[in-house]
Amino acid sequence: MKGFFQELVRNRILFLMIAPALLFFIVFSYVPMVGVYYAFTRFSFDGGLFGGEFIGFKNFEFLFNSGVLWNLTKNTVLYNIAFIIISNILQLACAIFLSELPGKWFKKSTQSIMFLPFFVSFVLVGAFVFNLFSNSGVVNTMLTSMGLQTYDFYMHTAPWKYIIVFFHVWKGLGYGTVIYLAAIMSVSDEYHEAAKIDGANIFKRVRHITLPLLVPTFILLILLSLGGILKGQFDLFYQIIGNNGMLYNSTDIIDTYVYRSLAVNFDIGMGTAAGLYQSLFGFVLIILVNYIIRKVQKDYALF
Amino acid sequence: MKTKIKTVGTLLVSTAIMASMLAACGSNNNSNSSNEGANKGTEASANAGSNAADAKTPDTSKKVELNWYLVGDPAPDQQKVVAEWNKMLEQDLNATVKLNFTTWTDWQTKYNLLLASGEKIDMIFASSWADFYKFANQGAFMPLNDLLPTYAPQAWSNISEQDWKEATVNDKIYAVPATYPEYTPDGLVYRDDWRQELGLPEITNLDSIEAYLDGVKKSKNITPINGKAYNEVFTMFKSFEGYQQIGGDSGVIVSKSYDAPRDIVAYPFTPEFEEWAKKMKTWAQKGFWKSDTLSDQKEAGDAIKTGQGAVYWRNAPGAGGFITGMEKSNPDIKLGYFPFSRFQNLTMPTLSVNNAMAIPKSAPNAERSLMVLDKLRTDPKYYDLMSYGLEGTDYSMDADGKHIVTPPAGVAAKDFKGYGIASWGFRVESMERVKQAGGWSGFDALLEEFKSQSKPNIFAQVIMDYAPVKSQQAAVNSVIQQYGMPLMMGLVPDVDKAIATYRKQLEAAGVNDVLKYVQEQANKSFDAQGIK
Repeated sequence: MKGFFQELVRNRILFLMIAPALLFFIVFSYVPMVGVYYAFTRFSFDGGLFGGEFIGFKNFEFLFNSGVLWNLTKNTVLYNIAFIIISNILQLACAIFLSELPGKWFKKSTQSIMFLPFFVSFVLVGAFVFNLFSNSGVVNTMLTSMGLQTYDFYMHTAPWKYIIVFFHVWKGLGYGTVIYLAAIMSVSDEYHEAAKIDGANIFKRVRHITLPLLVPTFILLILLSLGGILKGQFDLFYQIIGNNGMLYNSTDIIDTYVYRSLAVNFDIGMGTAAGLYQSLFGFVLIILVNYIIRKVQKDYALF
Repeated sequence: MKTKIKTVGTLLVSTAIMASMLAACGSNNNSNSSNEGANKGTEASANAGSNAADAKTPDTSKKVELNWYLVGDPAPDQQKVVAEWNKMLEQDLNATVKLNFTTWTDWQTKYNLLLASGEKIDMIFASSWADFYKFANQGAFMPLNDLLPTYAPQAWSNISEQDWKEATVNDKIYAVPATYPEYTPDGLVYRDDWRQELGLPEITNLDSIEAYLDGVKKSKNITPINGKAYNEVFTMFKSFEGYQQIGGDSGVIVSKSYDAPRDIVAYPFTPEFEEWAKKMKTWAQKGFWKSDTLSDQKEAGDAIKTGQGAVYWRNAPGAGGFITGMEKSNPDIKLGYFPFSRFQNLTMPTLSVNNAMAIPKSAPNAERSLMVLDKLRTDPKYYDLMSYGLEGTDYSMDADGKHIVTPPAGVAAKDFKGYGIASWGFRVESMERVKQAGGWSGFDALLEEFKSQSKPNIFAQVIMDYAPVKSQQAAVNSVIQQYGMPLMMGLVPDVDKAIATYRKQLEAAGVNDVLKYVQEQANKSFDAQGIK
């Protein structure tokens, strides 16, 4: 304890600098955790927020009762795995291409254009998708004018997996690229110059210098995204699929299911229960993966 | 480094001083105004005391600020209107009102949160369609029985006993209902000019609806219900079969008919539903709506405006508004209306609490809030201001002195924004200055028709909060969307197989528990209402 205080006094400026961040997380991440309590109570107006009757795991029943939880969890996890892997690999590739490109102007403008979709709201994305794939949408109009059979996208589940993954990747590409690009920029030029002198061509340099040095960033980003693996992208799915029950078999994730179940009957307890399930799953997953990484390569682990 | 920290430090300190100075100014102001208020208050009460020795006159000596909430969006000049209102209120009742709006975006979530979070609210819009009965039953609102005679004497004596009864839950009155009887049966607005042009039969029943849709589809080469079509089809189904939904239930549980209210079933299990789903399959194949209708976000009414659609679901007053709006914007389009109530020749008036004002449990100044409401409901000056806005900028009086004209004299229709808020909670029919249904000429005849076949609404007051079956209800809701909606719209490849799946999924989700619960609650309510 004494050591801690000494540390506090000695590095007071540093502690002062980290204080706002700490405060932020305490206020917005740790204090709200009290709300987990709602998952086990029945809310009543008489008792106010903390006066609800304790009812154990009853709020979780709607997730388990109908037997859909397994399918939902599977969908959510698989979608997220696809998102994480495809996004990261494409972002990495784009970052490497961009970093090797000569010509500042072209590089900058490409980067900006790639970044733009990040700012487009999901409501708009939903409108794009509908106008692309509806019966009288772009795709079907094109098919007709080429003399081909039209395809009824909203009656078949098959294409939607790809459409959703595509739009997710499209939206996040620029953002992720910038992060990787920053990591690449921090690699000292000396390595590359030395390699050039030794006669390494561009592929060799990427393979033996850039990639290995990016591995920590890559692992860090994967680890961070794993925590949210059970949190589907509600906006993405809801805006693209909407109320279309025809497509739920392959596009229903936990968030959309919870929304659909509780939108009619607002229930704090059940909503919190679903959130708790997601967070707990993410927590266990991140601990597990971090443990494995630490076993394999200690330096890359998050903690 | 050190000097830098020093400058930052001085900066911080000086900002802190500035802030505290400002705060001091603020509090000074506050104390000033509260002093003023108190002075005025004592004056007022002194006056009251000298004027009349009425012991019942409520004490308004303390100046209060009331926090009110309405659903929907504020008008563009809302601030001015409220400022005007507050001037009058301060003088008459020594109170001011802070009028808040939930906006229509996600209003239900916000409304729920407002009540759940226990924010100090003195009055809030309440309605059977905003779960009034559920909230009242759970204790979100304050019982008003003891307060009403003293603090809202006019409303107390003017509102009919039946209306109060409909605002009563567990023997306590929880809201002041609006006095504005309405009939809101669902129905279809359709392009009558096309019907006449194509020589299609008058719409009187399901077959003529089908004939109309078919004729329009073939000759005009458009999708008749062009947009999201679920409401059109679902309300038609309910009304055609005579099924009555109970309480606030929006799921699959219905009473099979008005005459046998206790015959309560889950409709997907009836042969009628099977037949309907098959019919809808043929309708969908004929192209009355598009196969992507469930993902479409567009209102079918918008397509009518552009000549790309023919049919739109509206309730009767809503249809009037839509038709009069179209008369102005697209005078070349002639519209007709078919209320679904004609399927069964039955209409039920809306409940009095279809629109009402309630006081949340957390209200610090319930008494004054009721006084303001009473004033608002009875004083034309107040009523006109809050319902129609500022005279001269938002409306002007008609020559008869009873109705209003918008846009007001001297304002061009093009730049006119107008004033319109969800003032429904305190509407009083005798105070109204606009006609129902936007003044649509066909409405009076319809109203006569509705009145002639009207029966009391016995279903809406069944109180359900689903507490014992909420996990089943949640699961059922989700099944309805996943399996029920595509069936209702005839979008499934094999109807029989889809119905079998739907039923199986509903049972797995626990629909029978929900059914049993609704039956119990309904029977309890029917017993209380004295219905066999």
